[in-house]
Amino acid sequence: MKREHYRKIINYSALSLSGLAALAGLFWLVFILGDVLVHGIGALRFELFLQDPVPAGMTGGGLRNAFIGQLMITFFATLIGVPVGVLGGTFLAEYARGTTFARVISVLSDIMVSVPSIVIGAFVYAVLVKPLHHFSGWAGAVALAVIMIPVVLRTTEDMLTLVPWTVREAAFALGAPYYKVILQVVYRGAATGILTGVLLSMARVAGETAPLLFTSFNNTFYSTDMNGPVASLTVTIFQYAMGPYDDWHQQAWAASFVITLFILMLTVSGRMLLKWRYKK
Amino acid sequence: MPIFSKKNSIDIAFSTITAVAALTVLVVICGIVAVLFKESWPAIQKFGFFRFLFTVEWNPVTSVFGAASAVYGTIVTTGIALLIAFPTAVGIAIFVTEIAPNALKGPIGAAIELLAAIPSIIYGMWGLFTLAPIMSQYIEPFLQKYLGNLPLFKTLLAGTPMGIDLLTASVILSIMIIPFTASIARDAFNLTPGVVKESAYAMGATQWEVVKDVVIPHAKLGVFGGAALSLGRALGETMAVAFVLGNNHKIATSLFDAASTITVTLANEFAEADSDMYLSSLYYLALVLFGLSFITLAVAKLFLLRAEGKHSR
Amino acid sequence: MTLPVDLEVKNLNFYYNGNAHALRDISLPVYKNRVTALIGPSGCGKTTLLRCFNRMHDLYPRHRYEGEILFEGRNILSDKEDLINLRGRIGMVFQKPTPFPMSIAENIAYGLRLKGIKSRTELSGRIEQALKHAALWNEVRDKLNNSAYDLSGGQQQRLVIARALAVEPEVLLFDEPTSALDPISTGKIEELVAELKQDVTIIIVTHNMQQAARVSDMTGFMYLGDLVEFDTTEKIFTAPEKKQTDDYITGRFG
Repeated sequence: MKREHYRKIINYSALSLSGLAALAGLFWLVFILGDVLVHGIGALRFELFLQDPVPAGMTGGGLRNAFIGQLMITFFATLIGVPVGVLGGTFLAEYARGTTFARVISVLSDIMVSVPSIVIGAFVYAVLVKPLHHFSGWAGAVALAVIMIPVVLRTTEDMLTLVPWTVREAAFALGAPYYKVILQVVYRGAATGILTGVLLSMARVAGETAPLLFTSFNNTFYSTDMNGPVASLTVTIFQYAMGPYDDWHQQAWAASFVITLFILMLTVSGRMLLKWRYKK
Repeated sequence: MPIFSKKNSIDIAFSTITAVAALTVLVVICGIVAVLFKESWPAIQKFGFFRFLFTVEWNPVTSVFGAASAVYGTIVTTGIALLIAFPTAVGIAIFVTEIAPNALKGPIGAAIELLAAIPSIIYGMWGLFTLAPIMSQYIEPFLQKYLGNLPLFKTLLAGTPMGIDLLTASVILSIMIIPFTASIARDAFNLTPGVVKESAYAMGATQWEVVKDVVIPHAKLGVFGGAALSLGRALGETMAVAFVLGNNHKIATSLFDAASTITVTLANEFAEADSDMYLSSLYYLALVLFGLSFITLAVAKLFLLRAEGKHSR
Repeated sequence: MTLPVDLEVKNLNFYYNGNAHALRDISLPVYKNRVTALIGPSGCGKTTLLRCFNRMHDLYPRHRYEGEILFEGRNILSDKEDLINLRGRIGMVFQKPTPFPMSIAENIAYGLRLKGIKSRTELSGRIEQALKHAALWNEVRDKLNNSAYDLSGGQQQRLVIARALAVEPEVLLFDEPTSALDPISTGKIEELVAELKQDVTIIIVTHNMQQAARVSDMTGFMYLGDLVEFDTTEKIFTAPEKKQTDDYITGRFG
């Protein structure tokens, strides 16, 4: 039959195209990661972690300041962002469950997750940098925390909602007040999920550059003073990559490799954790 | 539904703390809007709304600022990115939900989602040092040679391909948004009831006909939502674009021209804005960007909520 | 009995997941223009058997057929069988109504379009004919362009039947078609099944014995993958030969 023949050809063509699309996606992934791997490993040196940058144009030196700065900013961002996010998610999933308020905050958080991070940088600049007349590590940490909060809040809300209501009822039946039920029973049931949210939100902010450009700015010197400008890997990569020196480009690749590895490890472990906990 | 004892003071304290934490999201959003308005107020007063949007000139020396070139660059790059990414992402979703053998479904889906985990600065590095040279040496001359004589493409593909241009930026953006569209489309496809698919097969439909006539129509709200979400993301993407777009304040008619976007302008000029009007105009740009992306994301969310609602009914 | 046979099942064995033996050595004739009912407790294999007739199992990996189902003298279980063509001739109606996400008219037109019918006049004629055939025309004639989801469950099920009828199949498979419907809708579907046998051969799976007794001419009783007894419906419900059948019919089962 002619027509069925034709339909089968269309079928195979369309299905092949979708297979090609999947191949294209995998191709980009391998291409980008492979590129970072090849360039990055080639440029990796021990001095990179141990030495501070040398004056522009000279070869040698490392990015110790940026590694330390990045860790500090990410650490303090997590310290601010995670408690706020977890507690906020707790309110939505527990005390305010089912209310319009919870719905609104939940939807706004989903939107916040995708709001341009550079706008958040501009916001924090106006609040924490401009009035104080200097860039600071704190401003960078706050900018990243602002990005983390909605991510952690939404995962926490979802994970707490997954804990069956009957579990809470069982605890109530023993006479426990709600806060004890949450702290001792609900959190325990959702711990893995919340941890995953924290890991993924850290992965998300650890690679952020735009919000740091004009908050923590950059610093060519080693500095642990969160009240002053602090170097970060991402901003340094941007500066070095756009700069004219080959040595800078090499260091930018090495830094890219390290940060990619760090973020992929966080992401993959977060996902595996979730899979392991919530496997069917 | 939840009832908690109003008598227990620790409970009251704990619930208050969590409520405050939840409110920070609202406070931050309102704060962003307020701050952006306050900081851009001088520029708003000086340039107005439509004049700002439609003025091409961006000149710190004469202190004349218009958003047209940056808005143009933002819209062109995201538009082309979506044009490339959308079909690819839907194709991936079809492959992962309907075609791939069960053993491959998970791994391929996870691999595609890894694309979303790569930080934008890495896309920028790769774009600048690897993709841009490939674009300028192979792909762009190729396009120019074979499409450059067609009426519309004559303008679009004019000039010397340098690789640092609108097209390269769009390609990078498209790769970045593929995973968002693909994973949302995949989830939406998976919601199609199996028995409805079976009943299309039972009528003698081919696999593609089932996808085209049953699965996609069933999931269209979710698919559009995913596309809108990706668009919102792409609008605000900074670093990946900043590496490969130059920062050129003009309305480029050729895709092989350097250009600027709102985000690129902010990234390059914010820290060095030396006059109040300059900084205020940058804030005005940020406000425009925030408005654009917030509206796009809200529309996306609306689609996705409606898609969810349809299925929970 | 010398009725013409439409489908002949011969020594059919079916395996899920490589080795789960779901159907054991089934043989039965399916008579043309008669209603054949398959009954038995859940898990007995009746739906599995039904899904062999249009090779629905082929949608999923790791299944295996052994034996034959002859349709016009051809074994439809052979690897060479064109499933698209086969399913165009052997239609199926499922437990739950399965309207497609399109208008009422488009739902009916769907199978016709697959067969390459494009003419608008022919399509609208066949849509009307199919809807009348499925006793739905009077209820939907003014809203053919509404979404099929706007119909009630019973109407949706009749729409799905109309959709299956529109392509003029020779055989219709019903998989517990009324299990999701209220008694009134169920009555309408049963009347419809009884009328339809003038034009098509029907195989119906049901867990409702009264339904089998009401609508079918032949009944097969299945248990644990075996076809325990196959005979005229009258015989099965009044004087079954096997004790297992008798126990099931009289409700003394398990």
